[in-house]
Amino acid sequence: MDFAPDAATRKRVEQLSQLGRAQIRPLGLEADRLGRPTPPDHPFFDLLIQLGQGRTRWSEESEAKSRDASRSRGGSSLVTLCLAEELSYWDRGVAVSFPGPGLAEPSILSMGTPDQKRRFLGPFVEPDRPRWGSFAMTEPGAGSDVAGIEASARKDGRHWVLNGAKSFAANASRADWIVVFATVDRSLGREGHRAFVVERGAPGLGNFAIERKMGLKAYESTSFTLEDCRLPGENLLGGEEHYARRAGFRGAMKSFNATRPMVAAMAVGIGRAAFDEARVFAREHGRLADARVRDRLERIRRRLRAARLLCWRAAWLADRAQPNILEASMAKAVAPEVALEAACLGMEILGEVGARGDHLIEKLFRDVKAMDIVEGTGQIQRIIMARRLVKLPSERG
Amino acid sequence: MIDFELGDELALIRETALGFANDQLRPRDREFEKARAVAAEVHEAFRAIGLGAIEVPEEQGGAGLGALARVLVFEELAAADAGAALALDSLGPALYPLLELAGGDALDALARPVLERTGARGVLVWDGAGRVRRERGRVSAEIPWVPTDRVDLLVILDPTGAVCVSEGIARSELRGAGLRAAGASALRLEDAPVRAAWEGAAGARRALARARLYAAALLVGVMRAASDFSREYALNREAFGRPIAHHQALAFLIADMATAVESTRLLVQEAAWRIDGGEEAAEPCATAFLEAAEQAMFVTPNALQILGGHGFMQDYPVEKFMREARTLGLLFGGTDAAREEAGRELDTTPGPAAVGGAGA
Repeated sequence: MDFAPDAATRKRVEQLSQLGRAQIRPLGLEADRLGRPTPPDHPFFDLLIQLGQGRTRWSEESEAKSRDASRSRGGSSLVTLCLAEELSYWDRGVAVSFPGPGLAEPSILSMGTPDQKRRFLGPFVEPDRPRWGSFAMTEPGAGSDVAGIEASARKDGRHWVLNGAKSFAANASRADWIVVFATVDRSLGREGHRAFVVERGAPGLGNFAIERKMGLKAYESTSFTLEDCRLPGENLLGGEEHYARRAGFRGAMKSFNATRPMVAAMAVGIGRAAFDEARVFAREHGRLADARVRDRLERIRRRLRAARLLCWRAAWLADRAQPNILEASMAKAVAPEVALEAACLGMEILGEVGARGDHLIEKLFRDVKAMDIVEGTGQIQRIIMARRLVKLPSERG
Repeated sequence: MIDFELGDELALIRETALGFANDQLRPRDREFEKARAVAAEVHEAFRAIGLGAIEVPEEQGGAGLGALARVLVFEELAAADAGAALALDSLGPALYPLLELAGGDALDALARPVLERTGARGVLVWDGAGRVRRERGRVSAEIPWVPTDRVDLLVILDPTGAVCVSEGIARSELRGAGLRAAGASALRLEDAPVRAAWEGAAGARRALARARLYAAALLVGVMRAASDFSREYALNREAFGRPIAHHQALAFLIADMATAVESTRLLVQEAAWRIDGGEEAAEPCATAFLEAAEQAMFVTPNALQILGGHGFMQDYPVEKFMREARTLGLLFGGTDAAREEAGRELDTTPGPAAVGGAGA
């Protein structure tokens, strides 16, 4: 057993930490103060591209190495997770605003045909400028219950026609393309879902509206509509064969998940930031001699450490392509709760200073709540765990 | 790089402990509790599988393994019967002051006789609050409870070092709130002669850290057993037309209990890994013990709750798990002393990132 990241990972974390202190945190505070996302032409994004960020994991070589490339790579999601935690430590909102294919990348990697991967991820291999991808599943009326999405997809000759509304899609208005989920038949539930890549400027794609949020203001959460949006057949992710093939696996649950531990690690990052700030404040104000304060800080440190270990373990399993659904949900259920507790305690230690609305901890307190909602709420995680632990039946067949 | 693979040796050791616990301990837990002792043939079986003195160096007849092996094995034993685990481990955590402060000769002279006599017991008492009086090579103290029915070697550890006593100990039997398979006694020392004494704050700190980790491993085992047992029960018991596990109020609770076991286990294993890596580890061990004690008091009472009225009855093991969890958390100064230790570090370590890990 080993409970330490290797030297190479530590070095990358350290580099991120320098960027975090110098750029990421100030940018996050600025966006929060101004109440708007960092604009896409901000020089920070050009800097990131120069620093080698904003890239895709996909490459022609990885494509050539066929399907078990993702298996043999080994260790990648654990490393990414360590970096994600550190990024969120400095600012989780800015982290999401980073250019790159973002949350849509896993969908394209897992479902896309080789041509689609080349076409949509290719521009992210050595990007000429900051580019974004976006992912749109959530709708005004369908959040955790993704089977309830209403956006429709209708076949029309060699084309598809999409209609519907999507909400809370990160970076959607600045994206080169958006992976959009729509249904061919609502009565089929998830079986009826199809994923499309909708490119910027597609006819009928519009009404972009950037939501106003409680926190995490540095990135845009955007709603948009599809009105008779006509797409060529090649924009159906995976092609029609993919869905015909998948229908055979009805009811089979995926055996591992890499995104939930990642989001959980981001929560740990936010919680750690709140903890560090609270501890520094307590020390500067002579409060650490007070056992009441010290004990509560100790509890937060302990719970954060435990949450991080759950994240590490879930990611470690994912890297080895071992089942981790239970472990991933454990991490995702625990970390956001602990992180919120950290921010709450931080506010309490600040006292009236926290109520002024201009302290980092106050921002973290607003930022962190989202972590218990995205990528499956804490309640959804418990349902997923209960399915594994006690075969909790699904509400819908 | 971060790796949760146990490796062949540790996996085999855990497997062995699991098999032993299932075959020899679990079926007889109530019998041992009533007898206040583990049957002689079980002692022998334990000795035979070579887990009798896990952390005792090989020169002194032990297995010479580390803290990680210890926590893996003791989780398994405690998942069957935590009291029996204490009874079987003749030296128990009394080993740690000998290891950290005394060294090989003392181990030969003091530890060996305890290890070699079946049923003999070493006992560790932590004196963080100055309740033990030491004058001219003699010791006086009132110790309200130790989980044993005999004392062959008493080691009293305090922040400055340890003393060792084996005569002049008046023992009175107690009923004991839990861990009865190991026994329960009050000890009274009146000018008992000190057999050996060692000084050293650093060694004492390390010995205490390892003792706390020892208790933490037992707590993980107890809460795991409680979590597993109540989950199984909830699947078989029906109410309002379905297994009670399928009512969301219980399904969520069961998920949270399983999570508590998993996360606490990881904290305990991480602390053990630090010990084996030669780190001082006082804070991580205090933290692990504290978390284990707190989470065990979340898991075990809820396990009983899931069984409802049956949980309260002694036909099922969950009431025993709850008593054992509470009792284990009282060892070595209990949670408040551990909180003090873990919290002190918040004040003494400069700079941010005290959570540790990749960002530290």
